[in-house]
Amino acid sequence: MKLGDRLRLDDAVSLRPERFGALAYSYRDRQLLFIDRSLLPFIDSDGRRPLGEIADELVARGELRRDAMPGLMTVLEGLRRKGVVHAL
Amino acid sequence: MHYDLLRRGLEAPICLTWEMTYACNLRCVHCLSSSGKRAPDELTTAEARRLLDSWAEMQVFYINVGGGEPMTRPDFFELMEYAIDRRIGVKFSTNGTLVDGAAARWIASTDYLDVQISLDGAVPEVNDPIRGAGSYARARRAMELLAAEGFPFKANHVVTRHSFGELDDLHAMVTGMGGQLRVTRLRPSGRGREVWKALKLTAEQNRSLYAWLRAHPDVLTGDSFFHLSALGSPLDGLNMCGAGRIVCCVDPRGDVYACPFVLAPEFRAGNVRDEPFRAIWSDSPLFRRMREWEVGGQCRSCGAYDRCHGGCMAVKHFTGASLDDPDPECVFGMGSPLPVLN
Repeated sequence: MKLGDRLRLDDAVSLRPERFGALAYSYRDRQLLFIDRSLLPFIDSDGRRPLGEIADELVARGELRRDAMPGLMTVLEGLRRKGVVHAL
Repeated sequence: MHYDLLRRGLEAPICLTWEMTYACNLRCVHCLSSSGKRAPDELTTAEARRLLDSWAEMQVFYINVGGGEPMTRPDFFELMEYAIDRRIGVKFSTNGTLVDGAAARWIASTDYLDVQISLDGAVPEVNDPIRGAGSYARARRAMELLAAEGFPFKANHVVTRHSFGELDDLHAMVTGMGGQLRVTRLRPSGRGREVWKALKLTAEQNRSLYAWLRAHPDVLTGDSFFHLSALGSPLDGLNMCGAGRIVCCVDPRGDVYACPFVLAPEFRAGNVRDEPFRAIWSDSPLFRRMREWEVGGQCRSCGAYDRCHGGCMAVKHFTGASLDDPDPECVFGMGSPLPVLN
């Protein structure tokens, strides 16, 4: 996973907002995942913008600490491996 | 972590049980909903469609469709397709008697659809006393038809003290046909109340079942045995009572209950003919109370509380226990009635 990647939710995954972030349910393997709210701007971007650009904007708005980004990238890579998101 | 996130409820159920009809062509001795005859005031097709529309709007991920025997409803296939077209996954439970070749082909060709055939024994001699004469052969026939279509069906088994010894045989039979075994807990709900004491697992069987489930991670349980997680590492699943928090049940008349195992007035949150489902889910006083409540009493000082959270509310209710009491099948024996001292 690179900062230049754009993410798109898998077609078989449904994402539902919840107070802690969202629940993602995969109709492909019937798995339920808890999505922390810090991940939502990256996952729910419909492949329109690169991850780095989204991160820069969140940092500028004070909604993300730059040093949190490596951890988020690891989680996003895990979601990519599970087939929840695809890197474009 | 999941418990803390889920205990206070969600914007919508993760899944809900929709008992489509009370009509059933079998009379299983442990039926949770005491099904048999169709109720005269069951939801119409138009009402059912509106209900599905509301679940789609709320992004309910999937529905567990049951009854009664859901396939006895003339609009069964129509409503299932209506749900799936709205991106609501369907898992329906059937006794298999109405699954013919055409139904098996439809099931196999439909996305977002899971089917579980009820089977309460590996042989007719164990299954049929519970589900009725000839029911084993008809369920087996349904599984064979689905297997012939290459469809990975589930076989749902309510484990009793008489069938416990057959778990290995059932597992081998179902997986051998390309299916997946699902084992669920007998509850004293509906007609199950009359047979619970005679059929429930012994304490020793419950301990053995925990080990068996740990050794068979491919076996589904629908989070049915979370009270057994007190014995050690938690079983797969959320290991909590989701009633009114992450699940609920809608009965054939549109009554909304906290879960399919507590079809009792005390656990009725509203009716979809009187108010929208969304309002019942979000604002009913019953569900609000349940999202504030946690099992109290002696469970709170138990070292296993974080794994079993006090067990199943329905089993407590229908055995006359307080909801703050330990599960009547508490693995530490704390659910046994206290001796009455005169």
